[in-house]
Amino acid sequence: MDCNSLGDCADDRMVRIYEYLDGALTLGDLKDVKAHLDHCPECTEQYDLECIIRSVVRRSCQEAAPQQLKMNIITRISQIRTESGH
Amino acid sequence: MEQTQTQTQTPCKARPGVSRALSTSRVKRVDSSVMTDNTVDTDLPDVSKETEDERRARFEHDALGYVDQLYSAALRMARNPADAEDLVQEAFTKAYSAFHQYKPGTNLKAWLYRILTNTYINLYRKRQREPLRTSTDTIEDWQMAAAMEHSPTGLRSAEVQALDHLPDSDVKAALQSIGEDFRLAVYFVDVEGFSYKEAAEILGVPIGTVMSRLHRGRKSLRELLADYAADRGIKAAGPGTKATAKKAEK
Repeated sequence: MDCNSLGDCADDRMVRIYEYLDGALTLGDLKDVKAHLDHCPECTEQYDLECIIRSVVRRSCQEAAPQQLKMNIITRISQIRTESGH
Repeated sequence: MEQTQTQTQTPCKARPGVSRALSTSRVKRVDSSVMTDNTVDTDLPDVSKETEDERRARFEHDALGYVDQLYSAALRMARNPADAEDLVQEAFTKAYSAFHQYKPGTNLKAWLYRILTNTYINLYRKRQREPLRTSTDTIEDWQMAAAMEHSPTGLRSAEVQALDHLPDSDVKAALQSIGEDFRLAVYFVDVEGFSYKEAAEILGVPIGTVMSRLHRGRKSLRELLADYAADRGIKAAGPGTKATAKKAEK
């Protein structure tokens, strides 16, 4: 299977790779893309790159909320309960 | 046009050693069964018979575990950490007030994100001018744009390495500099692992709009990250460079 089976241009192919990673393909399309990736170094490279980008972005967006915020939320919730209790 | 979302996140099978970050993901794509109503779970609480104390305990047990994740998302929305804290606190306050409307067994995380996003739109966007709804928000334009673009990014392996080792500050700066609509679509799907449909529900836009924003957002992000990576790749090449000096400061 050549690259064109995923689309007519590089950008179309990226869309298929995105959808593949997003779990947004039908089962048939999923098998097609997987089979294609097994044989196409160019698309595999793009796939790997996309995986890296996602993991790097995920890694970078793992901020823990300040403890004070958590305490404020709990306090606020108990106030709501008190208010509604009257 | 019927596109069945399999909802199973395809595991990234990047070659071993390609990424040090691949194993660190805390996000697992939510199984579709949690979005449907036919989940059989006899342990689900009967909300109508619940006392205030029980509801509060359930909220603290189930919802408060998402504070960190919602805070991270809020940082992508608000202009600074203080605003992000206000946003999260307001969202949780609203969520608690509306918790009797939440149906146990459905996707709590998506429900909380929707409240967060609505809170953000109400609190912050109203203060600013209403963002431009460009005509590019349609799937037709997205497809047209896709058809006109031909060149792959083509990073060299040194740049791939640099990309993988980019400091979080660079990645956040890149994410922050793409348009807000695009940023949130990318964040919800790529970072939080929501499906297109869930992201569409959270953002209150059609699925096609989510896909269009994702496509453009990812493209912009990829280009920006490639720039940062190229920059780092070159800087890291020799001793005494800015990058080396910066690292030494830490």
